[in-house]
Amino acid sequence: MSVRGTRVPAHLQLPIAGVTPPPTEKDGQRLFPTGNFRSYRPVYRDKTPPCNNACPTGEQIQKYLDFVKHERFLDGYLTILEDNPMPAVTGRVCYHPCETACNRKDHDEPIGIRNVERFLGDLGLNLPENPIKETLPELSGKKVAIIGSGPAGLACAYHLRRGGHASVIFEAMDKPGGMLRGGIPHWHLPEEILNAEIAKIEDLGGIEIRCGVRVGEDVCFNDLVEEYDAVFLGLGQDVGRRLDVEGGDLRGVAGALEFLREAGMGRPVKAGRDVLVIGGGNTASDAARSALRIGGGRARIVSLESPDELLIVDEDLEQGRDEGIEYVTNTSLVRVLGENGVVTGAVLCEARLAKDDDGRVAPQLVPDTEYEVACDTIMIAIGQVQRLDWLPDELAERGLIKTDQYGRVGGGNVFVGGDVARGPAMVVDALGDGKRAAHSIDTVFRADELAPPEPVEVMPYERLNHAYFRHAPRIEAPMSPPDERRRSQQVEVTLAYSREQAMAESDRCMSCGVCNGCDNCYIVCPDVSVQRDARENGHYGIRLPYCKGCLVCVQECPTGCLEKAPEMDFDEPDAVVRMETAFAPYDGAHAEQSAPIAMLIEDQIAAYDATRRESLGHNGDGARS
Amino acid sequence: MSTVHVEGGAHSGQLGKAVRTADGQRFLDEITGQRIRLNGCAAAAYGALYANVDVITAFPIRPYTAIMMNLSQFIADGLLDAEYLHADGEHSQISAAFGAGSCGARAYTGSSGVGITYGYEMYSITSGARIPIQMTIADRTLDPPGDFGSEHTDALCTRDMGWLMGWAATPQEVFDKTLIGYAIGEDPRVLLPQMICQDGYFVSHIAGEVEMPSIDQVDRYLPPFNLPFALNPEHPVSHGPQIHPSQGPPLQLERARAMENAMPIIRQRTDEFAEVFGRRYAHFVEEYMLDDADVAFVISGGHAVTCRAAVDRLRAQGVKAGMARLLWIRPFPTEDLQQALAGVKAVGVVETNLGLGGASYGGILSLDVTTALYHTPHDRPLVTSFMAGLGGETVPMAEFDWMAGKLTQAIERGHVEKATHWVNFED
Amino acid sequence: MTASSQPPGGGLPPTTVVRQNLPLFDEQGRSAAVDDVAGRDLHYLPDMPEEDPYQAGHRTCAGCGPAIEYRWTLKAAGENTIMAGPTGCMYVANSTYLCTPYTVPWAHTPIASGGSFASGVSAAYEAMIRKGRYKGEFPNVITMAGDGSASDIGLASISGALYRNHDALFVCYDNECYANTGIQTSPTTPYAGMTTFTPFGKAIPEGKSLPPKRLAKMMAEGHPHAYVATTTVGYPVDLMNKTRRALNHKGAGFLHCYTPCQKGWVYQTSMTVEISRRVVEAGLFPVWEYDPETREYTYFRPPIQRPVTDYLAMQGRFGHMLPEHVAATQRTANLVWQEIGMDVPRELRDLEDPERHKKLREEEYSMPLNRGIGA
Repeated sequence: MSVRGTRVPAHLQLPIAGVTPPPTEKDGQRLFPTGNFRSYRPVYRDKTPPCNNACPTGEQIQKYLDFVKHERFLDGYLTILEDNPMPAVTGRVCYHPCETACNRKDHDEPIGIRNVERFLGDLGLNLPENPIKETLPELSGKKVAIIGSGPAGLACAYHLRRGGHASVIFEAMDKPGGMLRGGIPHWHLPEEILNAEIAKIEDLGGIEIRCGVRVGEDVCFNDLVEEYDAVFLGLGQDVGRRLDVEGGDLRGVAGALEFLREAGMGRPVKAGRDVLVIGGGNTASDAARSALRIGGGRARIVSLESPDELLIVDEDLEQGRDEGIEYVTNTSLVRVLGENGVVTGAVLCEARLAKDDDGRVAPQLVPDTEYEVACDTIMIAIGQVQRLDWLPDELAERGLIKTDQYGRVGGGNVFVGGDVARGPAMVVDALGDGKRAAHSIDTVFRADELAPPEPVEVMPYERLNHAYFRHAPRIEAPMSPPDERRRSQQVEVTLAYSREQAMAESDRCMSCGVCNGCDNCYIVCPDVSVQRDARENGHYGIRLPYCKGCLVCVQECPTGCLEKAPEMDFDEPDAVVRMETAFAPYDGAHAEQSAPIAMLIEDQIAAYDATRRESLGHNGDGARS
Repeated sequence: MSTVHVEGGAHSGQLGKAVRTADGQRFLDEITGQRIRLNGCAAAAYGALYANVDVITAFPIRPYTAIMMNLSQFIADGLLDAEYLHADGEHSQISAAFGAGSCGARAYTGSSGVGITYGYEMYSITSGARIPIQMTIADRTLDPPGDFGSEHTDALCTRDMGWLMGWAATPQEVFDKTLIGYAIGEDPRVLLPQMICQDGYFVSHIAGEVEMPSIDQVDRYLPPFNLPFALNPEHPVSHGPQIHPSQGPPLQLERARAMENAMPIIRQRTDEFAEVFGRRYAHFVEEYMLDDADVAFVISGGHAVTCRAAVDRLRAQGVKAGMARLLWIRPFPTEDLQQALAGVKAVGVVETNLGLGGASYGGILSLDVTTALYHTPHDRPLVTSFMAGLGGETVPMAEFDWMAGKLTQAIERGHVEKATHWVNFED
Repeated sequence: MTASSQPPGGGLPPTTVVRQNLPLFDEQGRSAAVDDVAGRDLHYLPDMPEEDPYQAGHRTCAGCGPAIEYRWTLKAAGENTIMAGPTGCMYVANSTYLCTPYTVPWAHTPIASGGSFASGVSAAYEAMIRKGRYKGEFPNVITMAGDGSASDIGLASISGALYRNHDALFVCYDNECYANTGIQTSPTTPYAGMTTFTPFGKAIPEGKSLPPKRLAKMMAEGHPHAYVATTTVGYPVDLMNKTRRALNHKGAGFLHCYTPCQKGWVYQTSMTVEISRRVVEAGLFPVWEYDPETREYTYFRPPIQRPVTDYLAMQGRFGHMLPEHVAATQRTANLVWQEIGMDVPRELRDLEDPERHKKLREEEYSMPLNRGIGA
């Protein structure tokens, strides 16, 4: 017998016929830590989507779109509330820099983010209870004076409250809202929506709004600085610039801003049946469209700007055109004509927009092009300022307040935001200023240094994996018919997304640079080395003992949140496991495997012999010698 | 009689006992105790029927085809419940049986001649994987020449592939060896595939009486098959992975051990067969008139029947002749043969196979026999190889006489004339 | 058990074989096999099973296409599965040194035995369940053979297995070469694909001059009762659903899966899935499904049609191609577009002219990638 006396050393003990026990799902085939193949590893590193980056309030747009896509509307609403207290307002009036920045515009059309925001905002207003109320901290005892109840002031109060600080808002008008109420017509932003959003903020507790109190007249600025722990100036610019022309004092010539404010405050206003609005910006557009609704006749916008230069938001331009607004561009008002002190017409002439050395508008008139038009009302919308005579002189310049890079005045605890800091801008800019000021004030309260924001990496379109984004058209929000809306101040022009539309539009989001739990990395890995405990951002991980660094996951990541990093960048204990040899990992590894297989055989022999003993009546050992 | 499913065992992956069809059970009950005239092919088919095989893989080639024809009829008649798989060639045929056996099914296949060599790749793989399927072989000459006749070369080509290999000389022995083969191969100490060989035509197509046992006898003798490491989703394992060269020697040693472990099991199962069925076979070597023999033939397969008669006639003529028939060639019964031939002066190996260019320049069998006798603890006899019965030719009595003459001359001369004699072509 | 309770003849009745029925994944708008009528984006996958019967710690190359196919197929099949692996790189790489990545039973088979071995496994379970030896549900029986195995060497006996209609699935993971042995040509190596058996040189500038074998069509046409489909590792839902449809089909199934080989084709490891989409979009690997009930083919019509250069330029094995070879490949692709019922756009028709590819000679052709990272 050749095998008599043979023995196999322990490290070469092998299972019968090489029969190999299986790996476990948890540990894998641990005899081969294939991570040592790797020279690069995939890492999850979220970038900033361009929409988030473009939003002055820093809304996490990608995040709430992802929630809406999955029908998690409340989570989406709460996500907005982290940055913006009034999505039902911005969802209607925002000029949506997010959509302008949206990477999807390079693919087909940008996402209708504002419409989704409005959907969530309206959903929030319909909630019986404000869901963030219960997340608010106890009041800290600090109290901030806020001047102006426009979007900057309200946002500042809101974010201060979320940081635990109380505030008192001083409003010169008899209703809160600032330009939200006095500058935006109801057909754009219904009064009840605005009231509801403001009420929601007031309802948080610790926020008091005192209307009819004008700083500089009714209270003294210096007293406020003394009395309160900090002051925020968000007074906006609500004084219309006057146009110094012949006939400018005739009856029928009015400031567009004043016209809008009176209408917004709910006071009776009149407009003629043939209105000229002088100006090329959004105020001109709003005034002309409101005048059309009130007067029921004709409205023309006379602007120095050429059609391409108009500062009116594109969709407003288009809506105005649908409603019958006429645009008289590259034209200047020369003088107003009148009879008996009342406007009867105007002399216009061709002109070009130009600016002088100081950046002031200086129209260049084309000689010999003057002509007369008839009209009964002329509204002036050529810019706005603020009265700041109550402020120390060194702080004010041309209707603006001078600040440092943090929006701070004089290096103390007085902060500024909104139009009065930057000049006329949009609601969302003011909301952003208010939020930033609130955080700065909180920082000052904590006696920390103010610091500029961290630079962010914005995800460009080119780094997405376009193969995963099939072209799909943008879903436009429904509109009221032009004939219907031009007859009333109260008919909202733009209507809301349905639930299905909101979800479908959110589904178009490419989630630029941010993990959205698509599972692609998990499924494409040849080495079962992408693990996840839930399909959510932050719940994916790389199984480093096995990942070979092929980077298929990086390539197939639709959003680009996965990127490669050189293995050399990682130190122990995170570094790759290096094996001494490419062969079997250690002596005796297979002897461990052989034991359970040998046990199978032993068990089988016992069972087999038991069966035979039973049927034969003996175990037959006699013949085995 | 137990037809109830046997639950459980040493581990829960244990497979139960196979039930028979009602008609099959009734049929076997009816023929129990009868002696039926069957040729070797039919006898093998009855053996598989009694063994209640699960999977049969077939591909036609003469002369073994008749086995598969019988089995397909059993299935068509409802006597046997088995998957009958008509393979696309012998390689697939053996491979399919191997696959079935890997799952713990009792698998049955067979072939002849070039069919055996077409499937050659599978032999080492099946035995190396330790899957105890059974393959019945009716020997046939390898091409060329185109020839249906028996020659053991086809099966002997595979002799070193790790299969248990035995030759039956009669239909009764074919039947018995089918059961014995499974009983040995499926023993968890062995786990090796078996080739149960018979000469084409001389055994496969000549009828002899075969005694039909009862199902109970078979059940007592042959336990249900349980492969300890079967491909079973309840107990997953991997079969046949790649190895590192350092892992080769211990695995090959393991295979050698399995083959040698089979020897005591063969003895045990042969004795138990006698106990249950009443027919006693030699463990490895059938000894005939060897006690005082001077000359002896070593032979395997069906020609042993003629050889026995030739020995009788030689004895009558005063020649002290004897015969040693090898029942198993793998594992080779070195010790049993040494013992059987102790005292014999000259040994002639009747080849019925072709081993071109080998050490004896003649047959294959003599190489093993000579090696065994070289190491004998007794007096070493002279050994020569006789090329006879090639291409399916018979080996008549006269040729045995001639061979005995050559052996007697060698004894007188003190050495053999040459290592191989071509019978009928020499003086 | 008393004699009276037994059926006539004393035998027990055969046990009924219970088969699995695996649910399909929602592929609305996400899969290669349906048109995107819903207009939804493709990237959000349905929830796939958690289990991975093909586990980590196997020694395939980084970015291995077949490894992805193995993982998806076994994920779709689940734990009640028995797998056979004929010789090929996925044998050698996965089970090296007595290791195994499989948590399901797996067996190596000879390279020609993929079909026959699985036939035996399937037959064994049919018989053992029927005869009361095995108590469980009928397992999924899956053979995964390389293209060399499945399209050469007697088709790895898969034709016989399909003909006999065993309840089993036969997958050809097609990396278009004998990769394990060092990148030799197989019958599915494309025209002009360079391998170590088809090098290019002055006398044979195209490298491989034969067109590839159409393995899956051969299987479908030759075994009309079998479920046959093609897919690639560019489309996870499609691959996993076709796996399940094949397994649910009572009888034999054949799945021809295109699986890039990073080493053999010479491309960057990260591009495995991208190439697998691009080959479909270039018209060089039609993705279809054959329904044995209706005997009809359903072709996937990709949303994008690309020139073949978008595909060829990604791979070193095509780097030697001359304008006439590229034009010939475009001709082949255009025939495929017609075959699957798509119009051949004018631009692609024009690219059948070798003159249009002259710039390949003159200037460096840059790889048209989607993005700059990971590559």
